[in-house]
Amino acid sequence: MMLWKKLSYLSSWTVYISNSRLPFLSAYCQYCTRGLSYLVCSGTLRASNNQLFCQRKSLQHVLSRVQGMKRGHNPFTKHQKEEWQKRNKTVLTYIAAAGVGMIGLSYAAVPLYRLYCQATGLGGTAVAGHSSDQIENMQPVKDRVLKVTFNADVHASLQWNFRPQQSEIYVVPGETALAFYKAKNPTNKPVIGISTYNIVPFEAGQYFNKIQCFCFEEQRLNPNEEVDMPVFFYIDPEFDTDPRMANVDTITLSYTFFEAKDGHKLSLPGYS
Amino acid sequence: MSTAMNFSTKTFKPRPPDKGSFPLDHFGECKDFKDQFMRCLRENHFDSGACRQDSKAYLECRMERQLMAKEPLEKLGFKDLGAQKSPGPHETTAP
Repeated sequence: MMLWKKLSYLSSWTVYISNSRLPFLSAYCQYCTRGLSYLVCSGTLRASNNQLFCQRKSLQHVLSRVQGMKRGHNPFTKHQKEEWQKRNKTVLTYIAAAGVGMIGLSYAAVPLYRLYCQATGLGGTAVAGHSSDQIENMQPVKDRVLKVTFNADVHASLQWNFRPQQSEIYVVPGETALAFYKAKNPTNKPVIGISTYNIVPFEAGQYFNKIQCFCFEEQRLNPNEEVDMPVFFYIDPEFDTDPRMANVDTITLSYTFFEAKDGHKLSLPGYS
Repeated sequence: MSTAMNFSTKTFKPRPPDKGSFPLDHFGECKDFKDQFMRCLRENHFDSGACRQDSKAYLECRMERQLMAKEPLEKLGFKDLGAQKSPGPHETTAP
């Protein structure tokens, strides 16, 4: 393969000369320079009629047949140029594919992260696998006794007397437990309340599972009515193996009742 | 609590209960069972593990009176207490 070496820059043309050592060099120019004349011919180089002439004394040797050169269209470097262009196109295609891949990955990251959170239970999200089979087969961890304290709150506009019936209860992870709250409506009008709950400490909330309770649904109390409200819950046995829970001995379950007004829609988690 | 000004920290997300909400016991049909359970708790210094028979009896009372969806008690974590119906608040187990 012939490699073309740039020899000189003329006013607007570039002269290429091959390094192939053949006595008959293929030059490609319309004008010659002095440098070229020293290189290829120890006489004078002249170009005319698309031909290069080497003039030594009186002899005139035709160096080669020279073709007219159009700016940018060098047929001797055309092969190289085509190769470069093909290489550029390939690289551009790869970069474009990588860009599209990155955009697709950023869209796919949302469900993937959710799956990861469910699998590892980080960030307090619900750990998948809360089924009745798990409750049936879980083994209580008898050597880890936890104190669950109960708290009851009422929103200012709700006139119920709402309080827990036991201040604390001692449970072990893996064992279901029952606790009671009591609510009384001292007014002489029926009142509808709805409640939510909170768990302290925050990280223990992911292990606190309520099987059944009285929260997130409207509860109606008739005038001067008093009812018992049970909470049936258990603490996940994996609580004992979590290193972050090693110092946690007390969990506080706190319920707050709000008045449910007609037409006021609460955003309830997981409920339709 | 839930109204704290935590902008970037994790917030507590309450989860709905697995089996939904207990219907309210407006007529106090299971009040005796509840009283027995509370008495047991007070006697045992609020140890939940000691009063599981009474909690089982309370849940059975609820199931009988349509205040709770009927379910086999093993699925509620009472597998080790056996499938027999627990004695009511005024009955005593035969020695």
